[in-house]
Amino acid sequence: MTASHVNPPRRRRRPDYLAWGLGIWVVAFMTFLLFPIAAVVVVSFSSATYIAFPMPGLSLRWYARIFEYRPFIDSLIVSLQIAIGSAALGILFGVPAALWVARSKTSAAALIGNLLLAPISVPAIVLGFSLLYLLSAIGVGISFAALLISHTVVAIPYISRTVLAVYRALPPDFEEAASVLGATRWQTLYHTTLPLVRPGIFAGSLFAVLISLDNLPLSFFFGTAQSNTLPVVMLSYMQSQFDPSIAAISTVQMLIAVTALLVLNATYGIDRLTAA
Amino acid sequence: MSMQTLTSLSASPPAQSKRNRFRLATGSWALPAVLFLVAFLIVPLVANAFRSVTLGEAALNPWAYYEKLLLDSYYSGIFFTTFKVSLVTTLCTLVLGYPVAYFMVRYAGRWNALILFCMIAPLLTSIIMRTFGWRVLLARRGLINVWATDLGIISRPLDILNDPLVVYIGLVHVMAPFMVLSITAVLQGVDVRLEESARVLGANRWRTFRHITLPLSLDGIATGCMLVFVITNGSFLTMLLLGGGKVQTLSLLIYQQFNLTQDVGFAAAMGNVLLISAMVCVALQTRFVRRRGVKA
Repeated sequence: MTASHVNPPRRRRRPDYLAWGLGIWVVAFMTFLLFPIAAVVVVSFSSATYIAFPMPGLSLRWYARIFEYRPFIDSLIVSLQIAIGSAALGILFGVPAALWVARSKTSAAALIGNLLLAPISVPAIVLGFSLLYLLSAIGVGISFAALLISHTVVAIPYISRTVLAVYRALPPDFEEAASVLGATRWQTLYHTTLPLVRPGIFAGSLFAVLISLDNLPLSFFFGTAQSNTLPVVMLSYMQSQFDPSIAAISTVQMLIAVTALLVLNATYGIDRLTAA
Repeated sequence: MSMQTLTSLSASPPAQSKRNRFRLATGSWALPAVLFLVAFLIVPLVANAFRSVTLGEAALNPWAYYEKLLLDSYYSGIFFTTFKVSLVTTLCTLVLGYPVAYFMVRYAGRWNALILFCMIAPLLTSIIMRTFGWRVLLARRGLINVWATDLGIISRPLDILNDPLVVYIGLVHVMAPFMVLSITAVLQGVDVRLEESARVLGANRWRTFRHITLPLSLDGIATGCMLVFVITNGSFLTMLLLGGGKVQTLSLLIYQQFNLTQDVGFAAAMGNVLLISAMVCVALQTRFVRRRGVKA
């Protein structure tokens, strides 16, 4: 009688120290993750020609500088073209292969499944270095095409991986129903399979685009004066001067990526992206 | 959780696999991808391995560059620094990231989406931006030095930026989200009732963690560790831009060899060593995760 009177309030009063401790740890961790990025955004609005605190004033001159310094804009356009182009090629190569690998139980399919995922584990600098000699030997050399080929090699595993995961989780019933009802192979693919695996294709392509935009170790082997990607241009700029224009172009690049993610979140949901 | 188990059970009952089920794709659908990857992944990597034992100094002794890499004290130092840097980064991200992953899965609730967004946001910025951020913070007239002098913690600005420690900070900063996301993916599948049972049966929090949660999340830890280790092994930007170039690793050396000395054979050999170490890591990880999968 007394025990039941005493127990409940005592339990309620005891705070969960572990949850609080972990919560503080998480806040500290988030600060560590976001602080340097926030610092770059702040510096991009500086009016000074050098990077120092306290900042003398605010201005948008470094955003204007992005447009004055042609290589920034030119290379941003090349970067976007390469990212989207390589993701599109990655879909063309990766999706049909993944659809077969996911359903086939032969050892050949297992081997090809490993081949599709292999480029993820090859260090980008090694892939770039090795591809450079091959592409030069077959006459592609350093060019836009070389950038596109090398980025496609890296896009394939990211797209195949999510498509494999999504398609393996689907029972074959839908496609069977379509075929029983008289649909041809192409009709089944177009009207049944592709709509079902679309989240996988979308998520994989987004990964591929983001990886491509930042893939300096791969890009720096293939850049020419006409076609360089943004990270390569930023690196060479940074090595000669330390002014806030790098901060401004970084902020613009981040805004593009964040917008893409928010659009994706609104259409597909952010949770489904990390599930695979 | 129980729903997940149910659907995964119903997805592959053994009775169904005996029937000849409809298959949309045929083997030929994989042909373009296979041809493309053989031409632009396998052939160049094999050719690279071949170059490392035939070009330059290797023309006389095929293993010349590998011997140089392992026996010459300067290069073997770089070789070991590379693995030390990757190992330290992996351990730091694990120790920092595991509690975060645990909080996200067990406590975050409605905050989870916000934490997840903050975790993914850095992945949307270029590595150049994140590295540049540390330079902004740690430069002689950077934010940290200015604040520390204003508060009277230090009398004059310190040269933190050129300290090798900054390379580790930069790498942990870049790699930590990969570790956290790998662990949360696995922790999400660990049934919370197992932890509750252990608690009810009298285990304290530490024992519950050691004997229940930790063993069940080993797959996520293994995946995260291998991912971070392999990516760190292959990155050179952080070493190039932070720490005053004092931390020399294989990838940075390949970059420099390519830009300055153009010693193709040697760069090929170093690339091959990086490639082999990455393959060993992946093989270890697949074997480790598969064996555990059978047990569970």
